[in-house]
Amino acid sequence: MRWWQIRKRDAELEREIESDLELEEEELRERGIPINEASYAAKRAFGNRGLIREQTHEAWGIAPLERLFQDIRFAFRQLVRNKRFSAICVLALALGIGAETTIYSVIHAVLIDPYPYRGAMRMVHIHLYDKDPAPYDLALDSAQFAQIVKSPVLDGAIAEDVYTMGLTDSELPEQLQVGRMSQNAFDYFGVPALLGREFSPSDGAHVAVLSYHFWMLHFAGRPDVIGRSLQLDRQEFEIIGILPQRFAWTGSDVYVPLPKSSDPRRPANVYARIHAGATDAEVEQALTPMLNVFAKETPANFPQHFKVHLVHINEIAIGRFQGFLVILFLSVTALLALACVNVAILLLARGETRRAEIGMRKVLGASASRIARGLLTEALLLSLAGGGLGILFALGGVRLVHLLIQPLPSILPSEASIALNLPVLLFSVGIASLTGVLCGVWPALRLCRTELRQAVDGGTHKLAGRSGTRRIHTALLAAQVALTILLLAGSGATVRKLEQLLHASLGYQPRNLASVNLVLSDGAHNNWADRIHYYEQIRDAIARDPDVISAAIGHLPPLIIDSTPVSIPGLKVGSGQVIAQQVSPEYFSTLGIPLLRGRVWTSVETAHAVRLALVNEAMRHRYWPNSNPIGQALVLNNGVANGNAWRFVAPGDDQHFQVIGVVADTPNKGLGEIAYPAVYIPYSMMPFDGFDVTIRTRSDPAGLLRAIKGDVHSVEADQAVGDLVTAQDLLEGDSLGRERFASHLFTTFALLGFAFAVGGIYSVQSYLVAQRTRELGVRIALGASRRHIVKEVTRTSFIAVSLGSGIGVGSNIALGQIFAHWTNSNVRDPWMLLGVIGILFCGAVAASVAPALEATSLDPANALRAE
Amino acid sequence: MTKQQQKANLLQGTLDMLVLRTLLYGPAHGHQIGKHIQRTTNDFLQMQHGSLYPALHRLERRGWVTSKWETAPDRNREFKYYRLTEAGRKQLVVEESEWKRMAEAVARVMWPVTE
Repeated sequence: MRWWQIRKRDAELEREIESDLELEEEELRERGIPINEASYAAKRAFGNRGLIREQTHEAWGIAPLERLFQDIRFAFRQLVRNKRFSAICVLALALGIGAETTIYSVIHAVLIDPYPYRGAMRMVHIHLYDKDPAPYDLALDSAQFAQIVKSPVLDGAIAEDVYTMGLTDSELPEQLQVGRMSQNAFDYFGVPALLGREFSPSDGAHVAVLSYHFWMLHFAGRPDVIGRSLQLDRQEFEIIGILPQRFAWTGSDVYVPLPKSSDPRRPANVYARIHAGATDAEVEQALTPMLNVFAKETPANFPQHFKVHLVHINEIAIGRFQGFLVILFLSVTALLALACVNVAILLLARGETRRAEIGMRKVLGASASRIARGLLTEALLLSLAGGGLGILFALGGVRLVHLLIQPLPSILPSEASIALNLPVLLFSVGIASLTGVLCGVWPALRLCRTELRQAVDGGTHKLAGRSGTRRIHTALLAAQVALTILLLAGSGATVRKLEQLLHASLGYQPRNLASVNLVLSDGAHNNWADRIHYYEQIRDAIARDPDVISAAIGHLPPLIIDSTPVSIPGLKVGSGQVIAQQVSPEYFSTLGIPLLRGRVWTSVETAHAVRLALVNEAMRHRYWPNSNPIGQALVLNNGVANGNAWRFVAPGDDQHFQVIGVVADTPNKGLGEIAYPAVYIPYSMMPFDGFDVTIRTRSDPAGLLRAIKGDVHSVEADQAVGDLVTAQDLLEGDSLGRERFASHLFTTFALLGFAFAVGGIYSVQSYLVAQRTRELGVRIALGASRRHIVKEVTRTSFIAVSLGSGIGVGSNIALGQIFAHWTNSNVRDPWMLLGVIGILFCGAVAASVAPALEATSLDPANALRAE
Repeated sequence: MTKQQQKANLLQGTLDMLVLRTLLYGPAHGHQIGKHIQRTTNDFLQMQHGSLYPALHRLERRGWVTSKWETAPDRNREFKYYRLTEAGRKQLVVEESEWKRMAEAVARVMWPVTE
């Protein structure tokens, strides 16, 4: 029997029963029984028709399903009848589920399924460590790569070298990031092209595959670009395909085949995928002998005495953000729990008014389990409705997250796409059902224990509220208050952190400050002296622009830079880590970093690579707290001393520097963090094939890129110029943005939670007033003061809020360490906690006003007549 | 299992057997089956006809009987006729022998044969 045939089947049964009854009636009439009596007699002989039908349905084996439909129908009618109640419950649950779904969609996109690549979770970077805590990425030449690809412990590997190339066929040369990948790369990634095809080992060297981002930006997504050519550094590449949006490996604009090269000075980075089931340690061990051989072949590309360490790509992308997301997820879960508690309170309160109905149903033969099932169905229906609406809210939530994350490209892996996809939807439906069970089961269990006696003399409840119910309400409210305190404290901490950052002293002037990045085209200015001369020419050309006050070579803070080992021969405990930055002498005046002592080196000294250094205040404080650093020597062990194709080493660089001055601290480990000891040396010590020019402008620098390109092209027409980054954007994007993101989300959740808690307090109190109308009337009639009545009404909430605050503050202090670790902010600040409790008490008082007024304005005569 | 349910099960099993046995004479509709059982037991099993229907539908679901709406030979109207299937015949044998064994067992206790 199929369930959809049930109507047909039932009609047939009706017909069968009908014909039986007719036959019986006829027989009785034939025996001489009067017509009207015969009909009754036949029915008597047949038995209880309704019961027979139900029993027959049982025989069909579909009765449970039918009962379910009945329950749903009944629950639906109940909910429609109490529109206001249902609306409040659905809204509360929808907010909770919506928030939960939104955050889960971020978690799913970032932690669970961030990459579109085949076997992405097994993809690794191969890091080599020596004493230096900053790792070397493994880099090999073509022959070595051909060997490592065949390693039995790896499930494929690629060689890649991210290269900056100029787009040379356009009017103004533009700088592109080009991923030059070994020709097996697309087979390795296993992501099919969106349009056209990807390159494979059978393709020549001059084909290009475009990233979705670059295709959209540069070709406005036109499909006819396939087959056209793209000129990079004066070489023509044929465009053969477009990659899907989520393919964003190394975030390059264009991917081209990596030319085979046996030049040991031109190694390419190697990335691999380990076999499923192999552990990192096994693979590290298996690779070590091979890499040791390679290190002997090309010592310049390897640190001495290294250890191999695999880092999975998701670890690199996510880092600390993972903990932050987990905290965020816990917060929304707390929020959802608050919503559940609210709905449970409302269901309980409403259940009290339904006792008579339930008692009656019991007397008529309904079993306790049937009643409980009915009540649970109501809760489930509520939560599924809430889930449906919640998914709509989550659609808005995901939009909001996109808006908040947009200025923070570095916060997520660029492959991650936050969306309400199927796993996320399944999650939210699951959450909605769980919610229904959680908030429905308790009221259901309580109510189905109702006895008829209780139901019938329900009037007695109008006297003192029963202590059992009151205890439950106190417990639920206290739980709400405690959770709200946790949420409010989290939000308060992130807001204060943001405020601190906004007012943090920077040590430089970020207004009207910007930088551009320039990368030499391959093979240009290929010796040290020529390169230094060229860099100075470019800097000078930019500095002479009428809109520019000064220009310097060096990075814009607050960049987080890896540290370098240092040793100071003149001191006993004289080794450690510093941040070494290569800058031109104008750097300090351009950024507005005060010189505290000594002097800055000159342009002439730069051109001759004189080994001079400036240290920051933190460095002075650590190594020379009570003495004069000027004239002291320091040694920077910046790893691979030999240059390669990309960086040259100044003639005579023995890594020994003489300190000639002290400058103020600037943030170099992130905004709001304590400045790390830093050493500034002339950029000519180790010129890379690319550099940043930092400029101080007369007005807002945002529109200056064109002018600066012009300045650069007056020196060399082919030189590509990267984007112009303003110091304000950098501050906003990298450091403030993340904190702003955190504080926005936490504050939204905390406010929602606060609204839930206040709503809970309000509904419990108004319910109590309604329950105790008669009792309160008696009290007023006997002369109770208003004060006394208000006290009676608000007692439960008062106890609950006090208890909850205690628990909340306690757990907050207990959990503070974890929170601080993941969000860098302090939830234990006593003033902030005091503020939070103050806000909560104000909310509780506000929620009590209406019920208290209602109670004190009761007319005793009417109250006693109620019922 | 409550006492009530036990009783119902016992009766149900017996009712199934009686219905199957009745259908051995040939196809019949619900009313006929009920009347037949009532008459043959001299009104001892005075059941309400209605209780037959759950039993009939259960037997049909198990495949022991089939049903069809057919015109009665003596009347100008359709009835739902139940017919014993091959499986139903086998089931009747099983149930009959079980019932026999049970009746004998009960009889041995109630009226012991003294040797």
